[in-house]
Amino acid sequence: MIGRSVRMLAALAALGLVAGCAKPAVKTLHVYTWADYIKPEVVQRFERENGCKLVIDTFDSNESMYAKLKAGASGYDVLTPSSYYVAIMSGQGMLLDLDHRKLPNLANVDTAYLRIALDPQMKRSVPYMLTNTGLAYLKSKVKDPQPSWAMLDRKDLKGRMTLLNDMRETIGAALKFLGYSLNTTDDGQLEQAREVVIRWKANLAKFESEQYKSGLASGEFLLAHGYSGDILSAQEENADIAFLAPREGLSISCDDLVILKDSKASALAHRFINFLHDPEVAAENSLAINYLCPNAAAYAKLPEEFRNNPAVKLDPAVQAKCEVIRDLGSDNAKYTRIWDQIKAAP
Amino acid sequence: MAEARGLLERRHEPWVTLPSLLWLILLFAVPAVIVFAIALRPTDPYGGIGAGWTLQTLRSLGNPSYPSILWRTLWLSALTTVVCLLLATPVAYVMARAPARWRHWLLLAVIVPFWTSFLVRIFAWKVLLHPEGPLKHLLVVLRLVPADGSLLYNAGAVLLVLVYTELPFAILPIYAAAEKFDFRLLEAARDLGAGPLRTFWSVFLPGIRRGLLTAMLVTLIPALGSYVVPDLVGGPTSEMLGNKIAQRTFVDRNLPHASALSALLAFAVLIPSIAAIALERGRRVRGREVQL
Repeated sequence: MIGRSVRMLAALAALGLVAGCAKPAVKTLHVYTWADYIKPEVVQRFERENGCKLVIDTFDSNESMYAKLKAGASGYDVLTPSSYYVAIMSGQGMLLDLDHRKLPNLANVDTAYLRIALDPQMKRSVPYMLTNTGLAYLKSKVKDPQPSWAMLDRKDLKGRMTLLNDMRETIGAALKFLGYSLNTTDDGQLEQAREVVIRWKANLAKFESEQYKSGLASGEFLLAHGYSGDILSAQEENADIAFLAPREGLSISCDDLVILKDSKASALAHRFINFLHDPEVAAENSLAINYLCPNAAAYAKLPEEFRNNPAVKLDPAVQAKCEVIRDLGSDNAKYTRIWDQIKAAP
Repeated sequence: MAEARGLLERRHEPWVTLPSLLWLILLFAVPAVIVFAIALRPTDPYGGIGAGWTLQTLRSLGNPSYPSILWRTLWLSALTTVVCLLLATPVAYVMARAPARWRHWLLLAVIVPFWTSFLVRIFAWKVLLHPEGPLKHLLVVLRLVPADGSLLYNAGAVLLVLVYTELPFAILPIYAAAEKFDFRLLEAARDLGAGPLRTFWSVFLPGIRRGLLTAMLVTLIPALGSYVVPDLVGGPTSEMLGNKIAQRTFVDRNLPHASALSALLAFAVLIPSIAAIALERGRRVRGREVQL
């Protein structure tokens, strides 16, 4: 008796499942990205136009995103890792080759940026948002600011400056200051950069990657090495903050749109990437999240004050000297060694 | 009869200690062994743990930049412990001698800061020592610090905040010992001609020895592993071992190396603990001989 009722229940449940499947399922696109990295209205518009549902999941570091995927997380379609991580994931065969016939808006992507991009043909990745690493300072406290890394040698700012607690960015700034590539693996150049950073270190309050934003806003630090997106947000809090793009060149980082190889919605994923590079959408999105989408057709649609802010768009002469940080594989150890020596120096 | 009861208690002993033993094995011994084991595995360039075994990582502990960090970690922790004990002992003495209704309020005053998050209290120090803050201005007016100097981001700031965070942990065990101390012994010592200093040093301190020992361990051990305090109020030359472990884990993506450093830290913590236990046991054995 009991057995029969259980079987009945099972049959009913199965019927329910079948009925559920029979309904036309709403297509879903799973996006895995940084927090607050897309304007909600833009998402709604894409959902409306394509009759689909977008599910956004967020990560706080490339490392944690990668670890989660490697641990077997599946079901994501579109991701936005930083370029150097795209190179790692591409090397591991995790990414889908993009079908450019489905991406007509790629014609809008800024070719000036593509020249320095890690995937200039956009074979497996499309640049989404750019950020520059430069210097921020307080206009009321810093006299005679120069757009140069030499600012870090200024004794009058001693004890009130910070450099990023990030070996590639900070050693990279010194390499740029010396006129070398920030992806160099030449031991002689790295040793010269080490001496420069050790000299700068004597003038620092600390190495800081997070608190420099609040430190600038509260007037604790007068000059800070930081990411332009963060600095733009800090500017909204304290109008006294200004950005310097060092003329010796700086690092540009880019987060790229990629599609995972095991994506079950690759057609929709292509449509999403194409949609984000629609000039109208790219401009609206950039303004909302304070980063620059490298879309040449969108630049004209940005308000002038945003476009002319050196934290957003670099002078072409400076941009020509900029580089994107690459993952150096086993040569990363060279940077780690130099960084350890910098940290241990008195 | 008493003997039989003692035997019964002894037979129950393993069962009584089983939960804490399981807890220790599961949450301390097993993770520690895993950490030691990872230190012997090779790295892979993507931040994972490679296959096979290697001694390469242990050899790399000879890195010439480590002695200075290790030395800084040791002296900052030792100094924190000494300062905490020096401050906590008189505080505990006063608390233990205070009238009973005062004692509860004093105890509460020690414990209340714990109701606020540890991080919030460190950030409060950052506000207090802010270079544009009132304290800094006061010290400049009093000509105690130069106008362009900073109170934050140096080894002194790390020491100050470490002492601040560890102090309650030093006060509580010393207070617990002092509360049980028979203060009539001090009167007896005075009657027998000892001066106040001698009384304090030769009668009171030995009387609360166990509290002092506990206080020393519970301040020294967390201080050795500190990471957040040097990270937030330390400067470019106040890095401690905990910060290096964090760098190896999050930035360098080198888990075996982080594990090797953690193992080193674990030994640095185990040595004083074992020394303290040995010392205590030695005293107890000697004490028993004297009694015999």
